[in-house]
This record gives sequence, C-alpha cells and structure tokens, in this order.
Amino acid sequence: MADEAALKTLFLKGLAGDEAATRAFLTEAAALLRAFFRSRLRGRAEDAEDLVQETLVALHTRRESYDPSYPLTAWLYAIARYRLIDFLRRAKHRAHASLDGIDVGEPDPDYEASDAKRDVATLLDKLPEKQRTAIRMVKLEERSVKETSEATGLSESDIKISIHRGLKTLMRLMGEEQPT
Amino acid sequence: MKTDDLINALSRGVEPAERPRWRMNLAITLVVGLIVAVALVAIGLGVRPDIGTARMPVMMKAMFSALAAAVILPVAVQLMKPGRPLGWRLFAIALFVGVCAIATATALMGEMPEQRWQAWMGGEGRAPWCVVLIPILAVPAAALLTWFMRAFTPTRITLTGAAIGALSGGVSAMAYAMYCPTDSVAFVTTWYTLAIAVCAALGAFVGSKFLRW
Repeated sequence: MADEAALKTLFLKGLAGDEAATRAFLTEAAALLRAFFRSRLRGRAEDAEDLVQETLVALHTRRESYDPSYPLTAWLYAIARYRLIDFLRRAKHRAHASLDGIDVGEPDPDYEASDAKRDVATLLDKLPEKQRTAIRMVKLEERSVKETSEATGLSESDIKISIHRGLKTLMRLMGEEQPT
Repeated sequence: MKTDDLINALSRGVEPAERPRWRMNLAITLVVGLIVAVALVAIGLGVRPDIGTARMPVMMKAMFSALAAAVILPVAVQLMKPGRPLGWRLFAIALFVGVCAIATATALMGEMPEQRWQAWMGGEGRAPWCVVLIPILAVPAAALLTWFMRAFTPTRITLTGAAIGALSGGVSAMAYAMYCPTDSVAFVTTWYTLAIAVCAALGAFVGSKFLRW
C-alpha cells in the first residue's frame, strides 16, 4: 500500500489532469477507505462498499478542496469521516422512519468484496438529461469530449461542466438513496 | 456497478482541476454583510443622536467588534477545506475571551461598589439589548457566509456553523456600535462578547442543516 508521500504525488499529478495517476490514486484510496469503513461498520460489508463508492465520488468531485500544505491522508480521512457520520445520521433517520424492529439478517456471503448494495449506474437515470448523457458518453462509453460534443451538439466546455455537476449530483443521490 | 468500474469512470478523460479563488469572494461577502447590517441599523434602530460627539467610543466599539471578527476569521477559513488542524487559532479565541474577562473585572473594580451593577448593565434601569439585537443584525451576514461556504467543503459542519455565526456576529456588532448608547468598557467586553457567543451557538445549530453536502 502506498504511503503518504507516494499517494500525494499521485494525487497532485491527477489534479494536473493525469488520467493514470488519478486512477492509481483512487484505487489506493478505495483500499484505505474500505479498511476505514469496514472497521467502523463491522459485519456490514455492503454498506461499507456503498460508502467507499460514495466517498470516492466525493474525493473526486471535491479534489480542489485539498490544501497541499497539510497531509493528503488527513484530507482523505476528514472526508471519509464526514461521509460516515452523514451515513449514520441517515441510517438513524431511516431506522426511526421504517426499519424499526426489522431484522435485516446476516450479510449475504455470496457478495463479492467490491459489490455495493446500490448500483451507481441506475442512479445515473435520475440525473438531468444533459448531465446523464455527458457522463454516460464520456465516462462509461469511453468517447472523448470532442466526440461527445459532435454527437450531442453541446460545446466541449458545456460537456465538461455537465460532467462535473452531474458527478456532484450523483454523490448527493448516493447519499439520499435508501439501500434496501 | 463495481468499485473498480466506478474508479475507471471517474478517472477517464480527467481534466486539470481548477483552483478556486476564495480571498476576494470572502472579502466581498464580509463587506456586503457589514453594509447590510449598517443599513439595518440606520433604518431600523437609528444612529445614536450624539454620534457627532461620541465618535471616539463608537469607533472603539467598532474596533473591538472588528478585532473579535478578526480573531474568529482564521478558524472559519481553516474549516473551509477538510483535514486542516485548528490548533493556535482556537487558542487565539480563548485568549481573546480571557482578555475580555480580565478587562471586565478590571473596569468594574475601578467603579464605586454601588455603581458596579449599573456600569455592567449599561446604566440605570437598562438591559443589555445587544445580546438580542446583534444576533438579529447578523442574519444577513450569516446567510451570505453560509452561501459562500457551501461552495467549499467543510467536513466539521457544526463547528463551521459556529464559526460562521461568530464571524457574522462580529460584523454585525461593528454596525451595532453606531446605535449602542452605552460606552462603558465592562459593558462592551461582556455583552458584545456574549452576543457574539450567542451568534456562534445559533450558527452551530443552523449550520449542520445548511452546510451538508
């Protein structure tokens, strides 16, 4: 596992627009987050994985909020802790609202390690059309921003903004989503 | 969607991140909050009639309030981004409150025993209304600061709400000084400080609702 210095190097490269470094950073971050959430939500591996995904989107859409004069891991865990507290608050709210006294049972042992309860792909459908199209084409169908621009008639900067806004909305939806 | 797929999707075609500029925005937010509070004092309460001769004490009280805001500002700024320690910034606030307490005690010692209570309360038969009025005048600045803060990423939202509340309280107290008829040191160091603390408490309560992201 990468240490603080290596992680920070990857992250800063990612901030400058390096795709491979961004992927490497998010992969390392996912491992740290998984350990963090699993140790705090014992026996609820899927909830933990939901939180990992939600926090990854948060780290990515809020990456400009990192102050390089402080440790990157402090930033990462501050956001992770915030997402966890927000999750527990929502869970408490839900418990009072509907799940009171319901036995949620044991987690399904057949779940794969990186299976989350909610499917981010289906949440995409809830986004406004422009944001959904931009994210789907660029982020999922691997088309370039230029191709997407030509296919949709939207300007390239419009598409970039739509992706950024869409991801932020997506993170909010991930938080509001009620896992069943 | 698997986490690895999500990571691939997020990193695909990533652009250089923008560096948000915040200093100018924060300065504008604070100045606008102050102007609105001044306008509210001028329209709603009225500037004190002896403002011509009382320029010095009004300035002193405004300076005191500005100092309170300046002491809170570093904490508020630090809370804009995740993972930054508060350390000495909290200590500075504690120091400020401590100095206020000493100033209050010293000033009250200087009064004749039978006049102490009056000096503290702002005169015969009066009550420190600033504890109510400063928080009310702080509402516009607090709303603007909350709006400003929502563009950033506070992760300790209750504390951030308190910092926003206290900061807007300091700004509002600067405006309130134009109206405030009481000039005694013990009055200002006690009740202005308490009014700002009330703003902080209200901010902590409201902040956790409006600063979620």
